[in-house]
Amino acid sequence: SLASPSSPQGSELPGWRSPVDCVRANELCAAEANCSSRYRTLRQCLAGRDRNTMLANKECQAALEVLQESPLYDCRCKRGMKKELQCLQIYWSIHLGLTEGEEFYEASPYEPVTSRLSDIFRLASIFSGTGADAALSTKSNHCLDAAKACNLNDNCKKLRSAYISICNREISPVERCNRRKCHKALRQFFDRVPSEYTYRMLFCSCRDQACAERRRQTILPSCSYEDKEKPNCLDLRNVCRTDHLCRSRLADFHANCRVSYQTLTSCPADNYQACLGSYAGMIGFDMTPNYVDSSPTGIVVSPWCSCRGSGNMEEECEKFLKDFTENPCLRNAIQAFGNGTDVNISP
Amino acid sequence: KAALGLYFPRDTYSEKLYVDQPAGTPLLYVQALRDSQQEVPRFQLGQHLYGSYRSQLHENLWFQIHEDTGLLYLNRSLGWKDLKSLSALNGGYPLLNIHLHVFLSPKPFWENECLWPSCAKVSLSIINTTAPTCSSLKAREFCFLDTGLSFRIKENKPPGTFHQFRLLPVQQLCPNISISYQLIADAGVPFRCDKESMEVSTRRPLDREQREKYELMAKCTVRMEAREVDVVVPFPVTVYDEDDTAPYLPRGINTADAVVEYKRKEGTILAKLTVQDADVTPSSGELIRKYTNTIVTSDPWVSESFRVDHMPNETTVNSNGSLVRATQHEYRLVLNRSFPITESRSVQVDVLVNDTDFQGPEGSLLLHFNVTILPVSIRFQNSSYSFSVNRNAHQYAQIGKICIENCKEFYGVNIVYRLQSLSSNCSALGILTALEETTGHLYVNDSTVVQRPECTEIQYTVVALDKQSKKQAKTSIIVVVEGTIMPQEQGCPSSCAVSKRRSECEECGGLGTLTGKCQWRQGDGKGITKNYSTCTPSLKTCPDGVCDTVESRYPAICPQDCTRGEIIGGHERGDRRGIKAGYGICNCFPEEKKCFCEQEDDKEALCDDVCRTVI
Repeated sequence: SLASPSSPQGSELPGWRSPVDCVRANELCAAEANCSSRYRTLRQCLAGRDRNTMLANKECQAALEVLQESPLYDCRCKRGMKKELQCLQIYWSIHLGLTEGEEFYEASPYEPVTSRLSDIFRLASIFSGTGADAALSTKSNHCLDAAKACNLNDNCKKLRSAYISICNREISPVERCNRRKCHKALRQFFDRVPSEYTYRMLFCSCRDQACAERRRQTILPSCSYEDKEKPNCLDLRNVCRTDHLCRSRLADFHANCRVSYQTLTSCPADNYQACLGSYAGMIGFDMTPNYVDSSPTGIVVSPWCSCRGSGNMEEECEKFLKDFTENPCLRNAIQAFGNGTDVNISP
Repeated sequence: KAALGLYFPRDTYSEKLYVDQPAGTPLLYVQALRDSQQEVPRFQLGQHLYGSYRSQLHENLWFQIHEDTGLLYLNRSLGWKDLKSLSALNGGYPLLNIHLHVFLSPKPFWENECLWPSCAKVSLSIINTTAPTCSSLKAREFCFLDTGLSFRIKENKPPGTFHQFRLLPVQQLCPNISISYQLIADAGVPFRCDKESMEVSTRRPLDREQREKYELMAKCTVRMEAREVDVVVPFPVTVYDEDDTAPYLPRGINTADAVVEYKRKEGTILAKLTVQDADVTPSSGELIRKYTNTIVTSDPWVSESFRVDHMPNETTVNSNGSLVRATQHEYRLVLNRSFPITESRSVQVDVLVNDTDFQGPEGSLLLHFNVTILPVSIRFQNSSYSFSVNRNAHQYAQIGKICIENCKEFYGVNIVYRLQSLSSNCSALGILTALEETTGHLYVNDSTVVQRPECTEIQYTVVALDKQSKKQAKTSIIVVVEGTIMPQEQGCPSSCAVSKRRSECEECGGLGTLTGKCQWRQGDGKGITKNYSTCTPSLKTCPDGVCDTVESRYPAICPQDCTRGEIIGGHERGDRRGIKAGYGICNCFPEEKKCFCEQEDDKEALCDDVCRTVI
């Protein structure tokens, strides 16, 4: 069946068509002789060639032009969908030919998020029985409460203990853990556990260092985040862009957390939920972000990289890094989640 | 290819675009800086308009650029209808910006690609209303855009104009409002703002190695009727680097000495030399490709035996009070293979370092490593060793360690110890070599032999053999058998680790015990601790957090160090095996592959018959 977003009425962004997912679009294309032959041609063009040689080829260019009219051009993928990787592979097979190689921000291959933070708060109040008011009480450690809430849910508890035990297992004195397996377990946790639980652990608000340290430790940073060397952020971005999943999650983060000058919250369409979701979506990839220290209120998050060694690209590197470290949209979203407040959007 | 040398001082220009602005409205000026005086910029627009994420929207029908001055203007009014049809082509995203590409002619073959420095993007943010009235604008809006200013100027290029302060649409809309601009900067900065034309230019060529960031401020003064308002914004200029300095040696040091002796393993770092470069280009991504190093040799032995590891690192140097980035390259000479102990040689390894991007003749340097490889001999320090063993010792009891001279220093040499019995009837012992440690562990292999009354002294010759070179050393050991045979307690488990109480621990023997009795370790009782209470064959070797070569022979000897099985109760696992820390008392059942760490049972004994009688 066609995957169309089942969104609450009135919250859909203006101008949005319901996109077909790329796996489905691929099926539609395969059913049509012209489309499928052009798609095959394009895939051959992209395989093992750089963009410029590909575009210099008449046949490749013609294939690209025809495909821009096909359902494949507009297709999108869903986070955590069945065959997500296959969907993203189809998406990038066309879009790699369309976007510039050096593009700073890329379009997100994911469907736009239409749910909002307030939806989470509504659900949170059902299971905690206290509602968002509890967030305002002074003495409690919200990160501890979040861990408790997770332990009371079978699914959350199971996937949390799974990633903790994998990420904590030391392989040898020189190898802290199996980073690849740890990342996979973290991805499963954030993909399969509802965000009511995961966000509470990741974005809990803190008043003291013990709480903030617990928040920083959520993703077991000594295994999943820190590394012996801190690579250059642009080099790290290049590594991320060679992987379809990482590239997609990063593009999604930029689409949803990029600072907007036109909105009240600095977030695109004032949607905190979308920003937090795409932030959490990068955990478990090369670009895994985390809190840089255990300061309770001065929230700074960053991937494990720096701008040393940028050469003439320092400005661009700083710009890339600041989307994490000095991003008012992301900061506002994390704080709004911690305080249990969301902006009211009149439809 | 685009015109060589000419470049844009920004990669993105911005302006606001209101609906229905009249044709002819000037939008902005783009500038180009040049490489040599003769160059004249010719500006050209790309053929297409781009929307979100550079998706091609439409052929450009609305904008034009003045080829010589770089003035971008509206050629045709952009109305609601145009906007609606453009929005429909934006891949489903709301249309917030329209992008144009400006090229320094000639245009490249593929116009979708706009790469600085020969192309700049123009981002026009669409304001969904018609142009505002002058009175509704704030002072800031007359002066600067929200997107901020920042410039990139290449070093060593002729000076030129790189910015025009005026916001052209606002000026056209409100011609009666007087606006002036000023640069706030220290005296002597190489920039100048012309009061009349409101253009900013450089006074002289810049040098990044002198200063790479100019954090200037721009002040705008707006006079509206009787009021005068100042607006100040940052005006940062970054100087871009080119590879214009040759690498050099700090303090002229180009030679390092290295001695290969006990550490002969592949991967051993022998020596380091540092090369300094004032440039930051090439950057980390292409540095390894463009900053090459090769071992200069015709001797295949040298090229197979050594390799060079290049570790670049960005540093900062102080230049006339401002911090400027530079690059430090560390070159490490590394053993590319493990050397046999017999190898003896002295060589000079020359490494040619080449900064391939540097245009001059001095882009390369020669580094010298004087390497001396000394042979090492295997010998025992003592002509004979003596140990003692208790008659009641059980199998796997560790009697002592044997080690060749400097054995702790060895790395990458495989030594094996072997025993040759001189008293064949009494040969009760075995020896095992720990990998990487170059140490031999002497242990009881047959406890029944130790108990024989005729065996009071056991003699061996121990041979240390280097596997690779077959070189060997010998020494003799004498083991005195002490003590008298004590009767063994009945019903004791074979492993000490099974016992959970001090009393049952100390009355039983078990595998690995030296005197026939297990030993009790009383822990500190501080939660989950490395010093937990447990029963062990020998406090010297178990539990010490290391599953040594003898312990690893048999799981019942010291499961506390060696278990790979389940641990129940409060604990922390060892790195690869064993219990690193435990809560209370830890005891293990090696057959079941299980350990338990739990608090002691009720310390007070249950009330027995005697106590009942008393009550």
